[in-house]
Amino acid sequence: MTTKRKQPEKALKLYKDDKAYMQMLLEALSLDESEEADINKGVIKAVLDKYDEVIDCAENDKPFIASWFAYAAEIFTAMGVPWWMFPQTAFLGIEAPHVQDDVDGSERLLGSDFCTILRLSLYYVEADMSPKPSACIALLHPCDGTVVVHQAIKTGKWHDVPIFGADPPYWEDERSYEYYANELRRMVGFITEHTGYTMDIDRLREVCEESNKEYALWQEYNELRRVVPCPHDWTIGPPQCFAMATFYYPGKPGGVEWFKKLIANAEKRVKAGVSGVPGGERIRVLWFDILPLMWQFDIQPWLEAEWGVNMVMNMFGYTPYEQIDTKNEETMFRGLAKRSLAEYPMIRQARGVADHFLSDIERIVKDYSIDCVIWPGHMGHKDGSASIGMMREKCREIGVPFLHIGLDLFDKRYTSVEDVKDIFSRFFSAAGLGQK
Amino acid sequence: MALFDAYIKKLADYQRELQVQGRQVKEIVCPTTVSELKEGLPVLVGPKASSGIILRGDTFVELGNPDIGSSAFILWTDKTKLIRDGNITLIGSDIPESAGASLPFGQVLMMGGADLGKEEHALLEANQYIADQIEGYMIKSIPQHMWSRVSLDAAGKGFNFEILGRALMAIFRSAVPKIEAMEVMFVTSSKEDLQLLDNIGEQIREISSNITKETWKAKGYDIECIQLWDCESCPDSSVCDDIKGMVNVRKKTKKTPKPKRVKKS
Repeated sequence: MTTKRKQPEKALKLYKDDKAYMQMLLEALSLDESEEADINKGVIKAVLDKYDEVIDCAENDKPFIASWFAYAAEIFTAMGVPWWMFPQTAFLGIEAPHVQDDVDGSERLLGSDFCTILRLSLYYVEADMSPKPSACIALLHPCDGTVVVHQAIKTGKWHDVPIFGADPPYWEDERSYEYYANELRRMVGFITEHTGYTMDIDRLREVCEESNKEYALWQEYNELRRVVPCPHDWTIGPPQCFAMATFYYPGKPGGVEWFKKLIANAEKRVKAGVSGVPGGERIRVLWFDILPLMWQFDIQPWLEAEWGVNMVMNMFGYTPYEQIDTKNEETMFRGLAKRSLAEYPMIRQARGVADHFLSDIERIVKDYSIDCVIWPGHMGHKDGSASIGMMREKCREIGVPFLHIGLDLFDKRYTSVEDVKDIFSRFFSAAGLGQK
Repeated sequence: MALFDAYIKKLADYQRELQVQGRQVKEIVCPTTVSELKEGLPVLVGPKASSGIILRGDTFVELGNPDIGSSAFILWTDKTKLIRDGNITLIGSDIPESAGASLPFGQVLMMGGADLGKEEHALLEANQYIADQIEGYMIKSIPQHMWSRVSLDAAGKGFNFEILGRALMAIFRSAVPKIEAMEVMFVTSSKEDLQLLDNIGEQIREISSNITKETWKAKGYDIECIQLWDCESCPDSSVCDDIKGMVNVRKKTKKTPKPKRVKKS
């Protein structure tokens, strides 16, 4: 099926610029012949492939969709439909020079109280900086912000793009999973209607089996991060695993190979007792949110050098995933529904009962020998803000220091880098952590 | 507090039923104080007893892989006499005879203490996940499963379910001094036997979840939102489900074409 969409020129230019930026990063990494660099190169190549796929669809008027990580991308892989993650530009343009200007632009659109990543995503649409898809899959949880963004999209520049949102139930029980599995089936029908791509259940089984291998390897890798000292630092590990399993290689063969390389490297380092933090690991942190993607180069090297911090685990790196039962269509959709409702990060914690905020913290602290829990308090995560008191209480109960900062994960001007460093230093000193 | 008492009896029935069906059942009676429990164990028990992980290549046996299943839960009572103190029951194969195997794994920890109450529940639950407290034994960090590994080294030292049971008893008794009696059941016989155990586990988890809600409520926090219009709390939800079912049936039924409207001239 072909469509007659006119793509905004600016969008294609931005995409190509961002791709060129990623290409430059890849070339810079090529100078490094270490195994670790090779693993990161694998991720950047996956990013470049995704750019190529979307640009090809946009330039040649082939159908593609915009969606989210929380929709079990195994479905898209099985259908063969090209897709990109709606906030991808915001996530991946992270260190690109234009992003700060874009944040300012988005502020003119929606003010400064709305989650920056969502605001940016909407801005890219309204400023003609996003390729226009054949159809859009809207995310209706875990926060009000995602709903608002899609409502705005529906009436703005993408008013003629068909949009579908699966209705997420509140609870986590069989009735909810069954309901959401039917929502995912409706989504398949919607995609077929607007792109022509169809679902073959045998193909879905193959994809889920491949995906199961990836998730099992990811979980195996996470076990290696429990070792003291953790074999990898912030430059390699959880964010890459998340991106590969849920976005770039969900159920695709290349993913398994990439995870195997990662594990082999981590196992080697564990056996040799090599610490991921060059100067030695002194504080093992659970960063309970998305990593500070927009400004990690400002903060992470400093944390390592000054305090010996290793962010051993974060919300997006944790793996509470069940294997998908591939027995039949029912079991696969049930598994994908459960994953989409109760296992993907942020959705898991903030959509329904708040218990996951607490049980995840308790389990991770124990299993990963965590010294302190940091809730960065991203200005957009108001859903989680309602649970700060409970998280603090839980940390008191299990005897681990808890820090709530209050910042913007995607804009370092909200709480300045210097202020954040100062907050960290006072916290670590008061808790008696990180002393040499 | 009798919240779990009925389930202690159900577990005894479960064991009896499997025994009647010819499962291999082994009962071991252990000492009951922490020092006696630890005495003579070939592996270290306590905080930082292990490095926390066992690599795949160093694994002697795997327990509870999701492919074959696991079920784990705790229950407690203030009627200490209901618990057979120091008793370990193993239904199925033991570790030493399972080199290289991946066994289904059920683990039930039953505790009694006159002063045990809902206040201890969270601590008891958390203690199931022993992290680095048993040398040569690792529970993988995956919620919803009790998926673990025994190392080659530990197996070489004779690690078996008696040692695991004793170590667990020592850890629990150290962490919660109100425990006056403790009993452990392990199941490795089959996936089907585990399913029967998990049927009991499901009911236990429901009670456990209610205790968690009540505990947080008492602290002044609601961990779930209950709206009046929420389907789960609506007494008529079954009627709605029936209607949805009927709508689905109707959709599937081939529609008969409607007669065309004839325009009046």
